[in-house]
Amino acid sequence: MSEILQYIHKDGLFHRMHPGTKIFLILVIGVLTILTLDIPLLCLILLAVLLLALAGKVLREVLQQMALILAMSVVFILITLITMPEGEVLGYLVPGGLLPVTTGALYAGILLTLRFAILIISFQVFVITTQPRDLVNTLEKAGIPIDYNLMFLIALRFIPTLQIEARRIHEAQLARGYAPGTGFIGRIRSVAPVMVPLVSNALSRATVLGLTIDMRGYRTRARTPFREERMNLLDRAVIVILAVILVAFLAGTILPSFGYSLG
Amino acid sequence: MIKLEDVSYCYPQGGKEALSGVSLSVRPGECIFVTGPSGAGKTTLCMAAAGILEHEYGGKKGGRVTIRGRDVKEYPSLSDISGHVGMVFDDPEAQLIFTTVEEEILSALERRGLSPDEIEQRLASIMEITHLSALRERAPHALSGGQKQRVVLATTLALGTDILILDEPTAELDEQGTQSIVSVLKDLKAEGKTIILTEHKYSRFRDLADRLVVMEGGEIRASGPPDQLAAEESVRRIIIPDFSGIRDISVALPQRGSKPLISVQGLEHFYGDVPALRGVSLEVLPGEFIAIVGENGSGKTTLIKHFIGLLRPTRGTVTVDGKNAATAPVSELAHSVGLVFQNPDHMFFANTVAEEIKFGITNLGIPDPDKVLERVMEKTGLSHARDLYPRWLSRGERQRLAIACVLAMQPKVIVLDEPTTGLDGRESREIMEILTHLQRDGCAIVMVTHSRQIAEECTDRIITMEGGKIRSDITRER
Repeated sequence: MSEILQYIHKDGLFHRMHPGTKIFLILVIGVLTILTLDIPLLCLILLAVLLLALAGKVLREVLQQMALILAMSVVFILITLITMPEGEVLGYLVPGGLLPVTTGALYAGILLTLRFAILIISFQVFVITTQPRDLVNTLEKAGIPIDYNLMFLIALRFIPTLQIEARRIHEAQLARGYAPGTGFIGRIRSVAPVMVPLVSNALSRATVLGLTIDMRGYRTRARTPFREERMNLLDRAVIVILAVILVAFLAGTILPSFGYSLG
Repeated sequence: MIKLEDVSYCYPQGGKEALSGVSLSVRPGECIFVTGPSGAGKTTLCMAAAGILEHEYGGKKGGRVTIRGRDVKEYPSLSDISGHVGMVFDDPEAQLIFTTVEEEILSALERRGLSPDEIEQRLASIMEITHLSALRERAPHALSGGQKQRVVLATTLALGTDILILDEPTAELDEQGTQSIVSVLKDLKAEGKTIILTEHKYSRFRDLADRLVVMEGGEIRASGPPDQLAAEESVRRIIIPDFSGIRDISVALPQRGSKPLISVQGLEHFYGDVPALRGVSLEVLPGEFIAIVGENGSGKTTLIKHFIGLLRPTRGTVTVDGKNAATAPVSELAHSVGLVFQNPDHMFFANTVAEEIKFGITNLGIPDPDKVLERVMEKTGLSHARDLYPRWLSRGERQRLAIACVLAMQPKVIVLDEPTTGLDGRESREIMEILTHLQRDGCAIVMVTHSRQIAEECTDRIITMEGGKIRSDITRER
């Protein structure tokens, strides 16, 4: 069973990087990706992210997401084809003139797909190369309230536990002769027998989890770090490069476009 | 160290008192073993002693609790008390917040104002005493129950408290896991820790306990030196599970050579490249009551999942009631084999006990559903609970409901995975009584258990598994 969004212990580029640097990296990628409308630039960013994943030794994990991203792109393009028919008509989805395939809609669909792909992959690379403890500590230092950090941490921590439990529950219900069938109806029918026990069991843990956090003094006592993560040369270099890219991008594309529209 | 004086408590939901007039004084370095049937107030006692009731719960409170001579009310918050008292609950899963063993322990160590050198030293010594050094980078979901509970214990130790309160720390654990916790606790006691421990398994912890406290109905029934107290008949009845007279020797053993309900030939199963079963052959005859015993990872659960098609053979054949279990759909095999999983909470989703039982009946299209429902509830002693919400039942009742759900599908073989985990002696006995009744009705029963006592006192045939193979298969004479 593949584990979703879990830290993988390796010795790659990102494992050596300070969590703060990585947060800055995904922020810059995020800003660029959301602000630009330029498909070649987005392709370039996607390529860069994949190369970074390769350098971080997590490309295999990233490529496992491709099925999801491809499925998503089909949905996006279908939606834009139906909802935003603009520009030149290239053909029709249904022969006989129904559901035109237009350049404007294709462009919008591809734009959305690329944006989501970049955001998903960069977030995934960040999470699977950062020890949750370092992540929480960095966020804590950045002034994010500890309760929010804990929420994020616990959400990540319980993903594989819930995956394992969902499988056990599914097996237990199969053994009771439950055959929800396939397809859409099957999916709907299968919700209650699996989701109800899954959610109830998770909720029943909440009390003990809360008491444990409080008794550990996690929310009240100050922390004296055991291994202080420090920014090294790599971190500084990455931050400078990112800053230059960000400034160049803002100066070169976004600001002039505002200038033109204002003028 | 901890003193309870005439402590009474009633949960905010009302009902009868969970604790009434409990007084207990714990001396430094003492290990108190608290036992008693489910619902006796053991957990509530732990929470009172740890100051949790005072700081986190509403409800009606009476009496006084002091920790190191100071009233728990005078501590500003639970986190101040946690500098003196560490608490371990029964479900390890809910007490692990981080994603590696080391992070988990550090999360507690780093909140104590220690220098990095001190932290490193204590981390190493804690991991040594809890035997976790080799698991340092492992994620919690990749650990066994016993390992998880050791991480919880290690994290509690990292708080540096002299007092440890453990509420059924081995309830969810198998024999090996229990043993590992016992051995860690022995070392901690030798170090001078004060320990309050609630448990069902008295015999496992006997060497550890300085004083035995027996609770029943929210009160302390008896308290004193373990051996002396355990000799008293009224106490014995509560602490030593009794399965005498359950095995029904009047039932004729099945005839050798009669047509088997389950026939396994040369079964091998691989998880990826890892062999879990390596050439298992066995037959289950109608009316047999079989126990499968063996250590964790010996292949017990893997074997029984083949009976109902949840796992398919890598090599070899499994025939169930004339059907090929390698290819027949699970829903078809469910007509012949009923599988009861270890944790009943993995199956309940309906609003009432009756609806829960009907789920299987409807799925398989069993005729005369209402009559089947009534009969099954009567057999499992759940008629009174018909309209109750399954998750509000006691642990023993939930286990009986899990059996009822499977029984309602009228299988010829009932397969159970550790059906007495987390149950007290009386509840375990009730389960075994239900199973022998089913045997008398002609059902074959296959039960995975880690209790040698149950295997020997209740069943006719004991199969011992080791490393994915059957090491011995002994049918007992009558």
